[in-house]
Amino acid sequence: MTQAEIKLCSLLLQEHFGEIVEKIGVHLVRTGSQPLRVIAHDTGTSLDQVKKALCVLIQHNLVIHRVHKRGVVEYEAQCSRVLRMLRYPRYIYTAKTLYSDTGELLVEELLLNGKMTMSAVVKKVADRLTETMEDGKTMDYAEVSNTFVRLADTHFVQRCPVVPATENSEPGPPPPAPTLVISEKDMYLVPKLSLIGKGKRRRSSDEDATGEPKAKRPKHTSDNKEPIPDDGIYWQANLDRFHQHFRDQAIVSAVANRMDQTSSEIVRTMLRMSEITTSSSAPFTQPLSSNEIFRSLPVGYNISKQVLDQYLTLLADDPLEFVGKSGDSGGGMYVINLHKALGCLATASLESVVQERFGSRCARIFRLVLQKKHLEQKQVEDFAMIPAKEAKDMLYKMLSENFISLQEIPKTPDHAPSRTFYLYTVNIPSAARMLLHRCYKSVANLIERRQFETKENKRLLEKSQRVEAIIASMQATGAEEAQLQEIEEMITAPERQQLETLKRNVNKLDACEIQVDETIFLLESYIESTLKRQ
Amino acid sequence: MAGNKGRGRAAYTFNIEAVGFSRGEKLPDVVLKPPPLFPDTDYKPVPLKTGEGEDYVLALKQELRETMKRMPYFVETPEEKQDIERYSKRYMKVYKEEWIPDWRRLPRELMPRKKCKKAGPKSKKAKNTDKDTSLTNTADVLKKIEELEKRGDGEKSDEENEEKEGSKEKSKEGDDEDEDDAADQEEYDEEEQEEENDYINSYFEDGDDFGADSDDNMDEATY
Repeated sequence: MTQAEIKLCSLLLQEHFGEIVEKIGVHLVRTGSQPLRVIAHDTGTSLDQVKKALCVLIQHNLVIHRVHKRGVVEYEAQCSRVLRMLRYPRYIYTAKTLYSDTGELLVEELLLNGKMTMSAVVKKVADRLTETMEDGKTMDYAEVSNTFVRLADTHFVQRCPVVPATENSEPGPPPPAPTLVISEKDMYLVPKLSLIGKGKRRRSSDEDATGEPKAKRPKHTSDNKEPIPDDGIYWQANLDRFHQHFRDQAIVSAVANRMDQTSSEIVRTMLRMSEITTSSSAPFTQPLSSNEIFRSLPVGYNISKQVLDQYLTLLADDPLEFVGKSGDSGGGMYVINLHKALGCLATASLESVVQERFGSRCARIFRLVLQKKHLEQKQVEDFAMIPAKEAKDMLYKMLSENFISLQEIPKTPDHAPSRTFYLYTVNIPSAARMLLHRCYKSVANLIERRQFETKENKRLLEKSQRVEAIIASMQATGAEEAQLQEIEEMITAPERQQLETLKRNVNKLDACEIQVDETIFLLESYIESTLKRQ
Repeated sequence: MAGNKGRGRAAYTFNIEAVGFSRGEKLPDVVLKPPPLFPDTDYKPVPLKTGEGEDYVLALKQELRETMKRMPYFVETPEEKQDIERYSKRYMKVYKEEWIPDWRRLPRELMPRKKCKKAGPKSKKAKNTDKDTSLTNTADVLKKIEELEKRGDGEKSDEENEEKEGSKEKSKEGDDEDEDDAADQEEYDEEEQEEENDYINSYFEDGDDFGADSDDNMDEATY
């Protein structure tokens, strides 16, 4: 794990779980797999606190436990999973766009709690939705369950590995830690539950309670005592499926930018058809025939078969090679080159970064070297039509920041500099990794700056919170306008100004984090796909 | 050494033009310090994306941050005892829901070992104090009693086994005064399993004062 990643993990853990969990988590990320007592000893925290922290981390799928030989249980942190915490708002927003408020709240609860049973999460979401509804209306459990089942069917949520059911007559002492297993076919199997009930408001008065039929009351008030029907079956959000969705979105919008709306719709249809048949790590989708695509186009699109064929040919001939033709049967078999598409997206990010940091002439040189693969100094000057001195300066600037690298080709075995070719080239995976590292560092800087700003104005923030609380309580008890005015004036105008500035800055920094995370996602997906190909 | 030195003048072994500057040209100064911490940028960054979607995600992010702080998973750092108890502290305490993890899924060593004030025969009640008490170290006895009433007997499957072993242990050791890894129901098993381990479980570990990492084989509590 690089230093930048560790720093970012530390900041994320601290913001979400507090200092103690952060200390334990960072220690595990740094040192790998460790047993309990070694962690306590090395971090200097009490055993009790280490246990607490580990329970929280395991609950949120950030740490896994394994039984090693001689019965020692070791804990290992998953650094990449910790970094995903940055992306939680994006997951929740995606669920909202696909499955509206119910889906949004379901995914939010699952992400906030790590893992939950279906009955627990359905109940909680129903309660939350009931809160927001008008008085007298409640949210039915059945509706929430339906959305949950849909989420499971489209693989957005998945079951957690379960404790294997062993018989009690097993000889010997039980193992110190359960080894959790899950089989592929069980992962999206929804247990048959009959969840009957309605959401309950938190501030339910007696009228509400008596309004419900008597049979339902025991379920709400005492379900601690009742056995939960799906006890032991926990669900978690399936982040890979969300990533697949983001990747599809990125490809579709890239096609839309490059060509037009119709071609992007065609690509979207193709991706949708391959959702189930192609695994997320495949380099290209299964071949789809043009007839199939024609049949699966969305209902609103009335393009004729010939037009569709023309579009497909255009897409296949495009130099970016998002779509490839793999055969002629069925009117033409087409695949989407996922690996190439991700590579194009990553390259586009690199180009854009070079352009924004060094200027458009540097960007021209960069694109030139990308296109021609290897170029000598003299050739760069000629092709780019930039004077030698400036070209040299720009090349060296990009070289020092590792966007461009040098390839030596010796003419003689002794590698004498006068008899060696030095060629400039762009090594895309390596440049992508470098940029990813910078992104991690950026996000860490952003979070630190935001925390600094908040800390600077802590006193003022607390004061404004107190004033708001006072105003709220006074309004509840019915106060006059004049009194409220007086209280509001406790915060002076310059202080208000300061608060405004603070709010604006914090919003800006937060928005930056979210957008840097989008770049991080693209680069990570690309690097992952290069790894899988090997 | 050997070779044409050019009568005392240095001669480069390669074509100097190829590198890009000619001989005798003024080169930029050598930089002898690390790059500045906040370097000037020649080009200002591109403005951020704005839109309904982006605003919503921003609001989600900030709400999520606030909500996380109120969840039971956010472990507060224990504060040092203050000399004077502030009046406002009582009213600013945030009430947090408790969270009990599913112990069947976790390694047994992660279960908290609470000290039990009552000795042997009351092992059943003590077991509830042991296992069903929340992870938060509340010294509030009233709260504990309330919880006991609410929880009743946790329907955990391995509780029966542990009770039996626990009563054995309890009668062996009598009173304990430690908070951390006290001699407990499972220590019997642990010792059997972990004998070949490098990590020696101490029979007696004192509370926070002693430091939880003293691993010597101290004798059992003597009073």
